Amino acid sequence: MIALLIANSLALASLLIMLASGLALIYGLRDVINFGHGAIYMLGAYLGYTVALVGGFWLALVVVPILLAFLGIAFEYLALRPLQSRSHIEVALVTLGLGIILGQIIIFFYGGVARSVDAPEVLSGSVTVMNLSYPVYRIFLIVMGLGSCALLALWLRFTSSGLYVRAVSQDPSVARMMGINADRLSLLVTSLSAAFAGIAGVLAGPYLSIDPGMDVTMIVNCLIIVVIGGTGSIGGAIVAALLFGLVQVAGSVFLPNIAALVPYILLMAVLLIAPRGIGRGRVLN
Amino acid sequence: MLKIEKLSVSYGSVRALIEVDLEVRGDGALHGVIGPNGAGKSTLLDAVCGRRRPTAGTVRYRDEDITRRTVAWRRRQGMARSFQRTSVFQDLTVYEQLHLVAQHLGDERLDDVIEVMDLADYLDQKAGRIAYGVQRRVDVALALIGRPHLLLMDEPGAGLSAAETLRLFEHLRDLVRERKIAAVVVEHDVDAVFACCGTVTVLDLGRHLATGTPQEIRADHRVVAAYLGTAA
Amino acid sequence: MNDRTTTAESPRAAAIGAFGGQSSRMPLTIVAVAIVFVVGAVAPTRFAGDFVLRLANEGLLLGMLALSVAFLMSQAGLVALGAASVYGGAGLLFAIAMSQWDLTPMSAVCASFLIIVVYATVLGALIVRTNPLAFMMLTLAAGEMISHGVMLEGLRDYTGGADGLVVNFKGSILGMEAADFANPARFWLVAWVAAWLAGLALWTVGRSRLGAILRAVRENEERMRFSGFDTYLPRLIAYVLVNVVAAVSGLLHVLNAGFVSPESLGLSVSTNALVAALMGGIAGSVGPILGGLIFSFAQDEFGARGLTQLLTGIAIVLFIVVFPRGVVGGLWSVVQLQARALSGRRETS
Repeated sequence: MIALLIANSLALASLLIMLASGLALIYGLRDVINFGHGAIYMLGAYLGYTVALVGGFWLALVVVPILLAFLGIAFEYLALRPLQSRSHIEVALVTLGLGIILGQIIIFFYGGVARSVDAPEVLSGSVTVMNLSYPVYRIFLIVMGLGSCALLALWLRFTSSGLYVRAVSQDPSVARMMGINADRLSLLVTSLSAAFAGIAGVLAGPYLSIDPGMDVTMIVNCLIIVVIGGTGSIGGAIVAALLFGLVQVAGSVFLPNIAALVPYILLMAVLLIAPRGIGRGRVLN
Repeated sequence: MLKIEKLSVSYGSVRALIEVDLEVRGDGALHGVIGPNGAGKSTLLDAVCGRRRPTAGTVRYRDEDITRRTVAWRRRQGMARSFQRTSVFQDLTVYEQLHLVAQHLGDERLDDVIEVMDLADYLDQKAGRIAYGVQRRVDVALALIGRPHLLLMDEPGAGLSAAETLRLFEHLRDLVRERKIAAVVVEHDVDAVFACCGTVTVLDLGRHLATGTPQEIRADHRVVAAYLGTAA
Repeated sequence: MNDRTTTAESPRAAAIGAFGGQSSRMPLTIVAVAIVFVVGAVAPTRFAGDFVLRLANEGLLLGMLALSVAFLMSQAGLVALGAASVYGGAGLLFAIAMSQWDLTPMSAVCASFLIIVVYATVLGALIVRTNPLAFMMLTLAAGEMISHGVMLEGLRDYTGGADGLVVNFKGSILGMEAADFANPARFWLVAWVAAWLAGLALWTVGRSRLGAILRAVRENEERMRFSGFDTYLPRLIAYVLVNVVAAVSGLLHVLNAGFVSPESLGLSVSTNALVAALMGGIAGSVGPILGGLIFSFAQDEFGARGLTQLLTGIAIVLFIVVFPRGVVGGLWSVVQLQARALSGRRETS
């Protein structure tokens, strides 16, 4: 029972990690919260649905992140760069507006209907491990989640761009004097963030549902995670995502009546106990 | 006036301040704090004014242990701080911001502050529009409001020319002498410090190295070594 | 030589919103404002049909909600994305109070009000301490929390779930009965007065010392602390104040509509209020209320084609990037430029 709980939490957390770390990276680098992140995820999911219809799940998993990376590049050049001189709140509001626009465009093309995507043959069905039967797809999700975590950790730790991102996240004023090409790095981070949102969107298809409200749901989840993790702390975001996944899954099992509210209770509890969040990134205030 | 006992501040694994003892009297003289880069001078000010929680040690202000008190409380009790990176209100005029703080601290006499900091010509201008040197003076002026008992100045000469810094220090020295207040000044410009301060403390790598009159410090070989050591 | 009399006025000058005026022009301004107030109260009920009045009523209420958002933004630099939870929540509480708790209308109003104030205080206490960006995120989360909370299966009997709740209005409030509140012309008067009161109240707060402190904290929170100010309490007070205004508009809404639906607690209402505030211009009291009216009529125009949400998104981007001062703010600067040009010309002639 506990094992199932943990496994399900990890599966959910895998998606959340991919999304929340993208959000935290952009914030750490540019002090910008992309409120349209949920809409990008939703785009990834719906595009994944379409591509999967045409060429299968695996094709979607490759094509969609690439497409979304281009969207991220566009976002960087058309929105983030021109608005660099504006206040962080104004930029955040603009991302909110853009997110709403993107969401509406998606609804326009796909209708306001939920879609479902089937897992590919290889990943469907269940596997039996130690007397427990568990869906293969969720194991795949966990592997993907761990993989992206590992990639992120490797990048942050062993590359110069990763080092810079870590430095800026801790203390932007000092790090910016280091003279590394911040613009190019920002472009990289933004497109990666969008690409990972795309991967998460495609992966979400067979696991969660694809519906018109998923952008709001996901951005709220990500925001909660980023706040709990300590805005700007990528490590904190990962821990927070794991915590969130656990709490969400446990909530739906033990407190089904208020399951939808459990993440918010977690948020309020963290705000009460540790207002600066868990991680050691740039604190809330 | 101010007594620091075994004050230590660490950021994670970095020990910025290690068991520093310091005593500052309210005798109307400037107390300078100097030291090579990374000596912990700003951290010392941060810990004294409440911006950073010390990991160990106590801060006693007028015989009271204030280590746990908030920044705002300290200010209301007369411990004022100015900033290395000028921190003023860009959108308010000079007069507006001085008045706002004065009203809050219950002392609306701004004339002497304006005069000492030579701000009379800039009162109606927005702080964001005036020259950097004048902004610095506004920054210091904000700390002078309300007749503080203890001034903590963090590199008041930062961004100013040597001449401007010296002039600022002379202003401060006269002000402090007139009002018989205590003032701790962290500064890089060693000349200005030696010219205007009655007592000088030297920090090195987070530790207290020496305290004495400017002549004593200038002659202290350990101080020379510390500065030369880091320059090498 | 500086003229201390003029500089003594400048702290006050800093607090002026869209209603700035110098001493010589004061009586004229007051007369003009009074005329607008009276004409605006009476004329629409005479010349506009029920349909237009209904839209206008909605516009005023949305405008009041936008006012609450705008005030917090312009004075404290905080964007509250959960305004709908108070707007719809106040209405919902009223409906519950009338149907489940069997209170008289007046006590139902008071009860709803009280609960909202407690909620705003508790939530504010938790989130006002954070930086503005985190605040924005948290209000969004809180709004969604209430949205979901209302839809919980277990509370369905209480809140009506997806179907909403009909208000069971028996009795009167301040001499007005259910029919009065539902009547578009009579409600216009109520809403008009309420909007003016709210606008005046917040404008006064903006010009007060609290307003000056809020704006200074917004600008440089750290320096304010280092100048001896408690930077937490003023923002908390401001947050509760704006939620009071939002609650009033929500209560008026439910009294007028006779019905509360979960949509009125939803994110779209919050973003509508935001857009209305941005459109009108967030400084001052006139802008947001005007923005509410504009939005209401625009929504009627575009809503039929399902474009409202899309236009909302576009409007947010447009009014931040291109027209940051909104309609009223933009017009006001044009007026000021003209006035300056005119007085300049007069002096040289």
